[in-house]
Amino acid sequence: MTFHWHAPPPPETQSIDLTFSVRRYGGPVTVVGPPCRRPLNFEFARPRVVSIPITRPPVRTRSFRFAEPDVAQPPPAVSKNLHGRAASNGALGGHTRIKPPGDILSGHTRIKPPNDIIKLSDRLEYLLQPSLESLLDEGLLAFPQRPFPFQFEGIAFLYPRQAAILADEMGLGKTMQAITAIRLLLRRDEVKSVLLVCPKPLVTNWRREFEHWAPEVPVIAIEGDQAKRNWQWRLPDVPVRIANYELLLRDLGGSMDGSDLHFDLVVLDESQRIKNRASSTNRIVRSISRRRSWALTGTPVENSVEDLLGIFEFLAPGFLSPEMKPRSIGRSIGDHVLRRTKEQVLADLPAKLVHDAPLDLTPQQRESYRLAEEKGVVRLTELGKSAAIQHVFELVLRLKQICNFDSATGASAKLERLDADLEEIAESGRKAIVFSQWVGTLRILSRRLERFGPMEYHGQVPFSRRDSVISRFREDPSRHVMLISYGAGGVGLNLQFVNYVFLFDRWWNPAVEDQAINRAHRIGVDGPVCVTRFLMVDTIEERIDGILREKRELFDSIFSGTEDRRKLGLTQEELFGLFRLKCPSGPIDLAA
Amino acid sequence: MEAASRKTKPTFGFLTVTDHPQYGLFGGYLVLNMAGRPLEFHCTAPIKPNRAQEILYGRTLEAFIYGEQIGQTLINQSSTSTQLVFTDREPALAARQHVSAPLVMVLPSDPRIMPPVEGDSAAAAESAKTFRLDTAHDGGPRLALFQHGGNRLALPERDDEDRRLIVERLAELDESFDLSEPFERIREAIEEARQAAR
Repeated sequence: MTFHWHAPPPPETQSIDLTFSVRRYGGPVTVVGPPCRRPLNFEFARPRVVSIPITRPPVRTRSFRFAEPDVAQPPPAVSKNLHGRAASNGALGGHTRIKPPGDILSGHTRIKPPNDIIKLSDRLEYLLQPSLESLLDEGLLAFPQRPFPFQFEGIAFLYPRQAAILADEMGLGKTMQAITAIRLLLRRDEVKSVLLVCPKPLVTNWRREFEHWAPEVPVIAIEGDQAKRNWQWRLPDVPVRIANYELLLRDLGGSMDGSDLHFDLVVLDESQRIKNRASSTNRIVRSISRRRSWALTGTPVENSVEDLLGIFEFLAPGFLSPEMKPRSIGRSIGDHVLRRTKEQVLADLPAKLVHDAPLDLTPQQRESYRLAEEKGVVRLTELGKSAAIQHVFELVLRLKQICNFDSATGASAKLERLDADLEEIAESGRKAIVFSQWVGTLRILSRRLERFGPMEYHGQVPFSRRDSVISRFREDPSRHVMLISYGAGGVGLNLQFVNYVFLFDRWWNPAVEDQAINRAHRIGVDGPVCVTRFLMVDTIEERIDGILREKRELFDSIFSGTEDRRKLGLTQEELFGLFRLKCPSGPIDLAA
Repeated sequence: MEAASRKTKPTFGFLTVTDHPQYGLFGGYLVLNMAGRPLEFHCTAPIKPNRAQEILYGRTLEAFIYGEQIGQTLINQSSTSTQLVFTDREPALAARQHVSAPLVMVLPSDPRIMPPVEGDSAAAAESAKTFRLDTAHDGGPRLALFQHGGNRLALPERDDEDRRLIVERLAELDESFDLSEPFERIREAIEEARQAAR
């Protein structure tokens, strides 16, 4: 297209001398001029034409094409799982009318590509997928209950990642989020074989959760004798295997040649189990051939940043280095770690009311405590430079036990207080759990709290009986209290029907205490949870409490991006300092 | 084989244009299958009309750029023949003259932004069946409003002969499908592609 206009006459024609006279007030126009010096030439030159091209440059485009998933394809082995249980297919329809992304149901949680996906077409393929909520609305994935929005976000976080830590606070449903992400990956054929590793007591829980959240996914727990396990490790057409850490060490650490095993995804539950980079567990899990690595933990940092380094050696070797400062680590891991607290995401979750109960030792306890401390300090002083960390530990444990009970008389200020509190709890028909680090303490409590129908859950209760203990405690209205050891009951238990938690004695590690508390304070709890932490005044417990507070601040410094300039572990100086003694040698790493 | 099966399965196109204050206009076209999954995505490099275009196209400039330059180019890039093309930008409706699939405009769901759809209320029944988005000018097409589930849609009166076909093809879409949602995906994808090109 071209636009034209008429140019003015060429300049030479303007040199003609003409005079124009116009009669005023209308009338014809008369041209009156002097005689021409030369004859007028009325042949005008042709007007010059100027063309302005209106260009239409071609529009540059980029095109991306994606493989079409066959949504009508049923999930693998949908009819039955290995336990012979008929699987509910989650209402997988055939090719029917299109259902909505979004719909009237709120929330558009879409999968965002992680930073380590570089190729634009791969990133766009994630960005252009419909929301996770739409899968639910379509009926392509059936859920027994609708996940919370933050759980959709967790699933969207895990799904595209090769290396990820889901570090939600306990009770927010890490298990469900991981299972659903696995389920989606299986459905889309992005993974075919998944290995889930968890502590032994949690194997049953994981199986149960898979049945609940992904009933169509065949799952097998590796167990039994060596021959059976060899067969189970290599069983085809089983997309999900569950193994416990101890068994993994035994099988892949020596008794079996696992060099032919490969997994598309390895998930470590309670991944703080590999926090020690030099441990056999860490070495064995790192040796597993895999494409994707996920870690689930509510406590990615229990003691020091070293814990996080251990987990990242599994996720992405070399990604973190011991020289990095907490703030720098916090920045680096941002794209790989998702951490939410209940306060952030569950505005409707009933309150967790934590309070310390400072108590005075009974006179008998005070006397025993004074004698034991004096004797212990004298011994440490005598040992001088040969005093070792285990000598300090022995003394600490001895004193903590006295804070629980006076061994000579059985006197216990904590028990007196607990007994009084349980009286009120039982009268109101509520239930309580009590944590201690010693089975011996729990046994004593069990005898002396007989009238409250105590149940025990600790390392001396066989695994085969543990589920029935939980069931009975939940269902029997005469059972008002369960006595739990931190070791056995700190993780994997869902005790939402409990409204009172007592920490009879304190653990070295605040993360472990949090885990214990969150057995009760989790999704599904039907009222506020009251947490009582017994603390004996002017004792070792009070001094240790100060250290626990510092550890809590360390955790916050990494996950909130604030600088932490204090020493990161519990140093030997600090440990000896509990007894106002000077440290004989350099710092040590004290792992609880 | 895959290409053949694509041809037989209904697909829907979503066309939009974003206006970046620094770089100009970016067009994006997304083809979805019946499950709302992406099959194709096409986007343009930024387009900025020059001064001559602005003067000479006058009020037809937007329709030219959105419909002819961007819409026609993107839709014709697609290897998939779509049932319908949805757009949330009124000037992009001009692409209808250059492509084979009917174009429908998806209006904002908030009725405060747009006039009520016929049948929404007694007052709406009194209101005109058509309206023009740019009432201050004469250039915009008159639009006929209609509803599909919760979606408020509009069709230029000049394309009225598409109406029967559109109704037929919309019948394949569940009424609860939120037709404005795919445009969010396109805008995010355009931004991602723009950043990748820097």
